[in-house]
Amino acid sequence: MDIQKLLFVTKFDELRFDALQSLLPLQKAALHHVVFLNVIEREKVALRRGTGYQKEEEIKLREKANIRFIDWAETLFEQGLEVGVYIVVGDYVKQVVDAATKEEVDLIVLSPSKKGKLEKLFSESEVTEILHRTGVPVLVYKNLAPGGILMDKPFDRILMTTDWSPAGDSAVACLKNLGTLVQEIHVAHVAHEKNLQTDSAMAVQKTRKETRNKLERICDIFEAEGIHSRPHVYIGEVETEIEKAAHECRATMIVAGAKNRQSWKERILGSLTKTLIETSIFPVLLIPPEKSG
Amino acid sequence: MSKKVLVVDDDPDVRLFNTTVVEEYGYTPIEAENGEEGLKMIKEHMPDLVILDVMMPRQSGIRLYRELKTEKTLKDIDVILLSGIAEKTFLRSQKALTEFGGKEVPEPAIYLEKPVEPEELGEVLKKILG
Repeated sequence: MDIQKLLFVTKFDELRFDALQSLLPLQKAALHHVVFLNVIEREKVALRRGTGYQKEEEIKLREKANIRFIDWAETLFEQGLEVGVYIVVGDYVKQVVDAATKEEVDLIVLSPSKKGKLEKLFSESEVTEILHRTGVPVLVYKNLAPGGILMDKPFDRILMTTDWSPAGDSAVACLKNLGTLVQEIHVAHVAHEKNLQTDSAMAVQKTRKETRNKLERICDIFEAEGIHSRPHVYIGEVETEIEKAAHECRATMIVAGAKNRQSWKERILGSLTKTLIETSIFPVLLIPPEKSG
Repeated sequence: MSKKVLVVDDDPDVRLFNTTVVEEYGYTPIEAENGEEGLKMIKEHMPDLVILDVMMPRQSGIRLYRELKTEKTLKDIDVILLSGIAEKTFLRSQKALTEFGGKEVPEPAIYLEKPVEPEELGEVLKKILG
């Protein structure tokens, strides 16, 4: 899968042009089209008792966004990129899904919106909803969030995590197409401690060896594309170990396969995808499994 | 029969403004809301002039302009670029696309920066179409 067209979703205060600029090396791979999307939340212009629909406010917000986008677009046009713009009023997830579908984008870049604790607990994350409904990889960029970092070259050193799911295969297919844009890929699997409950050190080492061999096979795919790759086995809580691995590899991005739909249990207890979206300080690229049929 | 002018713009308000001016100056307006649709309309209606926006969903005016000016049967159709994007940005973008291995394209007949007054647009229409 080539990334030829990306959708950059921004409310301006959480994702700025510098984040997009850091992704422009993708032009070396296949990127030639950037589509901007600004969703004006309905509540900001909604019907209010005594005032009605705030048309003036809508115009103000639209033009404010338009001015920023024109400025950004000028830079991109001059680099030979194609640029499109959507400024829409409505539900965030629906508008992202609509624009991604209409434009047939290959990547969605966004920053998750801030949610209250209760909302976080019960709602499926907007990001996983978008992943499920579009089937398009989503890059979660949080450089303006507390502790978030802006990478100069986010595709330089990638930490790819795998749980051997079909989405992991899609992640491999996506990354190998990036070719020399990527300097290193560290492929990691986190084995849960409960899987190692045995009184034999040999058995634990056997598990480690088997896991490592499986990871080596993934690394071979990347090496064949000229991308330096190394396997890593971690033991413990998946979310904690992945963040640890990202630091140890000096990763510039975490890439993970994402299930299309979270179960209720995952929504409440959390899933790797949800935790990475909410807590990781690294840019996180989530890749859904190939759509079947 | 009056001359045909195709207005390509994603903003319905701008399309309405442009088509009204076109009509008031005695020409026949037709309209499209993005570059893709615009190219289809050009091939179907062979307009005498295209008023083209630059930044649009699906396909931008930059691509449409290139396709128009590199297509033997369409390259003589005059184009007015009407955009919020500065003219020098447009020209640089064409240069960059040429450097990426594309054909060199001529500059547009007229480049107008939005917003434009009705009289200004009308005068330009008269100048090009007579």
